[in-house]
Amino acid sequence: MVAIEVPEINYTEYSNRQLAAIPLAVLVLALAIIGGWFLVTGAPANLGLEFTGGVELRIADDGDGNMEQRIETAFDQEPDSVRSIPADDVYVVTFRSAEGDPDGLAGDLEAQADAADLSTEAIDQVSPSFASDTARTAIFGVGLAFLGMSVLVFALFRTFVPSIAIVASAFSDLVIPIAVMNLLGIQMTLGTIAALLMIIGYSVDSDILLNNSVLRRTGEFYESVSRATRTGVTMTLTSMAAMIVMAIVASVFGIDLLRNIGIILAVGLCADLMNTYLLNVSLLRWYKFEGVSR
Amino acid sequence: MLEPIKKNWRILLLLVVVVAASVALFAPQFGPETAPGENASEAQQGITNLQYGLDLAGGTRVRAPLLGHTATGVDFGGDQPTDVAQNVADELDGVPVRDVGANAEEGAVEVTDSSVTESEFQAAMDASGYAYEDVRSGVTQETRDVAENVIQGKINEAGLSGGSVQQVQSISGEYFILVEVPGQDRSDVIDLLEERGTVQIDIAYPTDNGTEVQEAVLTQDDFDEIGTAAESERGPGAYVPVTVRNTASDGSQSPAHEFQQAVVDRGFPSAYSSNAAQCDYGENPDDVSNPCLLLTVDGEVVNSFGMDSDLAASMDRGTWADTGNFRLTTGEFESAQTISINLRAGALPAELDISGQGTSSTISATQGENFRTYSLITGILAVFAVAGMVFLRYREPRVALPMIVTALAEVYALLGFAALVSYPLELAVIAGFIAVVGTGVDDLVIIADEVMSEGDVNSRKVFDSRFRRAFWVIGAAAATTIIAMSPLMVLSLGDLSGFAIFTILGVLIGVLITRPAYGDILRRLLTVR
Repeated sequence: MVAIEVPEINYTEYSNRQLAAIPLAVLVLALAIIGGWFLVTGAPANLGLEFTGGVELRIADDGDGNMEQRIETAFDQEPDSVRSIPADDVYVVTFRSAEGDPDGLAGDLEAQADAADLSTEAIDQVSPSFASDTARTAIFGVGLAFLGMSVLVFALFRTFVPSIAIVASAFSDLVIPIAVMNLLGIQMTLGTIAALLMIIGYSVDSDILLNNSVLRRTGEFYESVSRATRTGVTMTLTSMAAMIVMAIVASVFGIDLLRNIGIILAVGLCADLMNTYLLNVSLLRWYKFEGVSR
Repeated sequence: MLEPIKKNWRILLLLVVVVAASVALFAPQFGPETAPGENASEAQQGITNLQYGLDLAGGTRVRAPLLGHTATGVDFGGDQPTDVAQNVADELDGVPVRDVGANAEEGAVEVTDSSVTESEFQAAMDASGYAYEDVRSGVTQETRDVAENVIQGKINEAGLSGGSVQQVQSISGEYFILVEVPGQDRSDVIDLLEERGTVQIDIAYPTDNGTEVQEAVLTQDDFDEIGTAAESERGPGAYVPVTVRNTASDGSQSPAHEFQQAVVDRGFPSAYSSNAAQCDYGENPDDVSNPCLLLTVDGEVVNSFGMDSDLAASMDRGTWADTGNFRLTTGEFESAQTISINLRAGALPAELDISGQGTSSTISATQGENFRTYSLITGILAVFAVAGMVFLRYREPRVALPMIVTALAEVYALLGFAALVSYPLELAVIAGFIAVVGTGVDDLVIIADEVMSEGDVNSRKVFDSRFRRAFWVIGAAAATTIIAMSPLMVLSLGDLSGFAIFTILGVLIGVLITRPAYGDILRRLLTVR
């Protein structure tokens, strides 16, 4: 059986610049992806049904075969996507609501599905005006959570550089998963917003642990860092294990909410490993050896 | 005797919490509330007292705004609300006065006819001469409350257990009515919401062969204005003031004249020449001695009454139809309310815009049951993943095993809490549980590493100081999680408030109860005696 050996990074071999370069490059790349997405599509991410409005139907697979084709022909309006979930014998069909014609779509589609002998298991209808409202609420919520976390971190450590190190890596932890979502084609839904808020809560843990170990405890810098790393990496890996399993199992069963939360958190925690032990460490080291003495 | 309790109180507290959670989960006393006509075992879903939300049990959720426009900060200038409503309605083409409401308490005037645009309403307000601050979309608080009561009434009447209705406010300040009905599909729920009770007035009159009834003398459409239910000034009972329409297309009689004619034809003026005459429909419906007005709702007679002699006389003279006012009296205030509501269009005081700005979601019962099983499997596998990681890392069962057990106790306590307050479990809540296992184990890792960091723990003092150090980090981490999740708890973002509530609760139970207990367990196992 393999034991998890938390690797010891020999920080002395690298300069602060070298350490910070990788996470900063990744952050810039992530921001570029999101910016590019915004320029091309007009939104920073692939917005899901909840943020664009539309109708999602879950149609049971009755075993007669040819489901995809029957679904394509059943509806007057062409579906935006048809996704099969074999474990649940269900097809998920989504329709974006056309700008001028949001009225009564869900009822029409239900009737059309009935007419084509397709049995609908679930219907979700979101109106465009409600969707844009939800989007604003979500952005507001994430902003508020981030602000609250930042204020708390500054209150806890009361020194500028270590606090800003935590806030910066938390920011990067948020941005990287969004960019990865864009690349993987995962849609921004309410579930992913919850996951992003969880990242704010989760990812800060290992940063706080590291800062606490270096600033509030006696002992040499590298020793403190390696002690915090051993604990922090274990923490992050256990959380990641839970999230990866949740993402895999939930996507097999077609439970989108749990799958999305799992994926985003796994990516965010991965980004957090990098940001904590490269970006945060380099900022802390600069603060400890150069910043304080100035 | 007390010493062991004092020493191990943290562990004991955890045990107490676990026992309390078991009671809440399994004791029949904490079972879900039963709906009328349902017994306790029917209300219970599965062997536990847990309640499942829509996405785990199947059902329909509809969330939609009430259509209308409201002028706020209106200066009534000493006018009665009914006069204000009348004056504003006069400025709106083709809008009956029943679609305009004025509320002195809120200082608001609203129009609930969905065909009136905001600018039309604004123009009407300007023309009516009342000063106002602003016009917003939506209706008044009073109307929303009435709508909520009406929908709740419909749900109760239909015998749908577990159905709920509430008002929610979005970030832009708009109000929505949120209706959740377990076990019903979308079209059933929408039918229920859009269905209106039929209220009509019949006349029962005596003939040689007993009572005969002339049906539908007045129907919903014949009313121009329908007041709100009020308690009677003299004597018991309540009434709804109404005005019968006195306009008609060319060539036909107006409803007020038709009604007046029918009343005279059936002999009301002669029967009620003095105030001593009474309607006896209540005592012997098959053989009345005087003609009676019957108030029927959905074909059932809810009240019968005679007529005031003055009113009968004015009908006889043919002058009543000019104003068309009278009162529908009932025995109880509640039934007056129901009648008032049913007389208004669509039963709801304003139209619920489900297809336009609304959202709805339906999940079938089988789908819900599947989700229940799947999320259970997902949760168990996630716990196994965490357990596996912890064993791989520590390779020492006496550190790792208590860790897993404590994390599970945390989830168990949360389940107990959910059962206790009858909070319906939803997918989002399950995600919250999994997140709790994740953060919970994180913190236990911090404790274990900190306590074992510098060699053997050879005294209680050493242990305690290390444990306290670990706790600073845990407390700080918990505080950030709570702060990060709290916006979700209050913002109206659908299911996610459940996720936030249970994550925050889990963190609190963890910091206050389970993590200190784990510390004690670890101390007993590690302290070199």
